[in-house]
Amino acid sequence: MQAIGSYLSIPFAQSDPIETVSQLSGSWNLSMLIPILLGAAGYLLLQHGIVKGKQYLFMGVIAAVASVISASLFIPPAFENYILFLFCALATGGAFGFLTARDPVYAALGFATAVLSISGVMFMQSAMFVAAANMIVYAGAIIIIFLFVLMFAQQTNLRTYDVKLTYPVVAAPIGVIMLGTLVYCLTAEGAFPLSRPDATRAYSEASPPENLMTDEGNAAVKKLKTIEHTGSYKSVSPSTTSGLGRSLYTDYLLAVALAGTILTVAAVGAIALATKTTGEDV
Amino acid sequence: MTDTMTVNLLIFAAVLFTAGFVGFLTRRSLILMFLSLEMMLAGASMNFIVFSSYFGNYQGQVFVIMVLTVAACEASIALAFVTLLYRSKPTLDVRAWSQLTESLDEEQPEQPETIEEVHLEFPTLTPAGLDPLVQPVPSEFKADVGVAKPTQGIMDKESPAKEATHV
Repeated sequence: MQAIGSYLSIPFAQSDPIETVSQLSGSWNLSMLIPILLGAAGYLLLQHGIVKGKQYLFMGVIAAVASVISASLFIPPAFENYILFLFCALATGGAFGFLTARDPVYAALGFATAVLSISGVMFMQSAMFVAAANMIVYAGAIIIIFLFVLMFAQQTNLRTYDVKLTYPVVAAPIGVIMLGTLVYCLTAEGAFPLSRPDATRAYSEASPPENLMTDEGNAAVKKLKTIEHTGSYKSVSPSTTSGLGRSLYTDYLLAVALAGTILTVAAVGAIALATKTTGEDV
Repeated sequence: MTDTMTVNLLIFAAVLFTAGFVGFLTRRSLILMFLSLEMMLAGASMNFIVFSSYFGNYQGQVFVIMVLTVAACEASIALAFVTLLYRSKPTLDVRAWSQLTESLDEEQPEQPETIEEVHLEFPTLTPAGLDPLVQPVPSEFKADVGVAKPTQGIMDKESPAKEATHV
């Protein structure tokens, strides 16, 4: 419990970098493995219980609830943190359901859960437009892929290539090693905090122009300036969709044009590839 | 955005990426492999979003929009390829496509095609330079594709106009 207490006592304001590093390395400890192991046991028991019997199911539910409770002890007590980590847990669960499901339809459902939860996390990170675009693009893609899956897998019994995977015993340790390496690199001493950019100057070309000719433009600029000067102008928080749009169409105009071009080329290519040639024409 | 929360969310992104990676290694269905790729892209996008929030600028979000664009292109092209492959062999198994070589059947080895004859084909046009009132082009005349042999050519004695009138 002492470890949990030390985790909770981390100040959430920006502080001296060296101090923060030491606190970070102190906040990661082995007691955080408890909810992970409990959750893994709960997941296995639940999957076992669906096939075998009710007592496994009961134990699995107990383990999952214990995992959630023990994990919530580590989360800094704030409402938005709970929502954020709920989205994270949902996304992780969807990803693992996607990994372990045999039926491709259930796998696609798990993927949809994961992607929608990722959109929720993006929303909590105040990336509103990206969250909405992610939902729209992936929802459309998921619907189409669902149609494909249902079209191709009309048989009720499972195919052999859905059941017999390629070397899962080899692939799972590779994944664990990769995840361990990533987590080690992220939590290593000195990895965080990164050097922040100089926030005193404008980071983007997209700052509003000084003199607009029209009255409407003047009013808009005045409004923007009052908004930004009441806060701290030096650190523009990326929370507004209008700011993202302004940045997208000033700083990254060429990239946007190229993105449109590549979309057109991909659409033409997909139509040309998927069109059935009858042999009479062409 | 505190440093601890940033690290937590980066680990979350790493978990997503690893899940997609393991899925790509293990799955055998073409569509589910493709979904695993999308999962890896989602993990990378999560990284960009977290860093955008950490540094307080829009660069990460712009990058994610570009990633979404490329993912949409990739989805369309990949599904077109899947339909193309499914048409020639009705299965979604990747192992069916493990050998994209010529036939290894020893009884019926694939012979390389030998090109025996080269046909140079030129279109025969409607004869020009004739007065249609004096020498009318017959109604059944068709401008067809003739085969020009190496001996025939411009130096041929018989003129194209005569040939046309013979038809």
